[in-house]
Amino acid sequence: MTAPADADADLLEPVPGNVGVSQPVPLGGSPQPHVPVSTEETENLRGQHAGFASRFIAFIVDCAVSIGVFMLVLGAASFAASVLTGSSIHWSRANTWVVVAFFAWEFFYYAYFWTASGKTPGMVLLGVQVVGQDGSSVGTKRGLLRTLAFPLSFLLLGLGFLGILLGRDRRALHDVIADTAVVYCWDAREARLRSLAREGSNRQP
Amino acid sequence: MDPGERFRRSAPRRLAEQVESIAQGVAQRVIDLVVESLDMNALIARIDLNVVLGRVDLNKVVDRIDLNQIVDQLDVNRLMARVDINQIVSQIDIEALVKNTDLGAIMVSSSSSLATEAVDQGRSHAVSMDDTLARWVSRIRHNHAGRAEPPELPNTPEEP
Repeated sequence: MTAPADADADLLEPVPGNVGVSQPVPLGGSPQPHVPVSTEETENLRGQHAGFASRFIAFIVDCAVSIGVFMLVLGAASFAASVLTGSSIHWSRANTWVVVAFFAWEFFYYAYFWTASGKTPGMVLLGVQVVGQDGSSVGTKRGLLRTLAFPLSFLLLGLGFLGILLGRDRRALHDVIADTAVVYCWDAREARLRSLAREGSNRQP
Repeated sequence: MDPGERFRRSAPRRLAEQVESIAQGVAQRVIDLVVESLDMNALIARIDLNVVLGRVDLNKVVDRIDLNQIVDQLDVNRLMARVDINQIVSQIDIEALVKNTDLGAIMVSSSSSLATEAVDQGRSHAVSMDDTLARWVSRIRHNHAGRAEPPELPNTPEEP
């Protein structure tokens, strides 16, 4: 896995307006025609605070990726042990070392991606990104603090995530602690143009 | 010929020349006075330019114009400096252009793939769900206040 380049602290121009996206961005390839949303809405998506669904799906993807990689590593270790020693190793969830290794791996996974680029693989897929509350890059300190505070949102019976649904700036508890925010970083207008291009090329003979 | 006879014949000619010269001067002066007193704008206003232009064979006029020579004399850079390209571009319907021209096909062949399409769709639906959830919460809380100002994004490359 290669490390994403550390993001500069340089800032872009302020994102104008704060228009919510009231409809899905129309995309091509669907059998039914989409209702086009206005250009204003799609242009203003980038830099908006990301909503609960996007973040939750990104988290699910990250869980799948991180657990999948962990299982693969365990499987590879078990296979290597069986080849080298002739006896297979059976990993158990009750095994303390496995649990410790799992949590260490999870910590490394999130800490690495958040400090390096503000985006885990799941976040890349969903087009969201962790930034500082002021819009700057997350950086090592805030990335580590966010990773440490992340379990707190779970430990409080999930109440730490309520801020995403109820807060004006959609920040979870670990965002507040680490002074971060999660924003959309994908270009919806570009996606819309791609969709229109596909639609146009499908119609042309 | 007798010198006296020659003088008698040339006298009327010289007189005629002098009269002609005076007449030309007077005529010139009269024309100047008339032109000065003319209100050209009023005169042009009374001319039906459509009738005039109707009699002009524009094709012949254009044939007589050397456009290359005119273009050679143009300072294109200076001309372009006076053109507001942004204003022109803003008047172009980019979406219609992409949808109805080969530009769309070029974009599709250069940037689109099944994976990109799937990712675009997934993100689009996620944003849709975000918005639906936000509207539900807003309705439950009877809160119509807008969201907080978005933070400025760091200068990182955009996701495809």
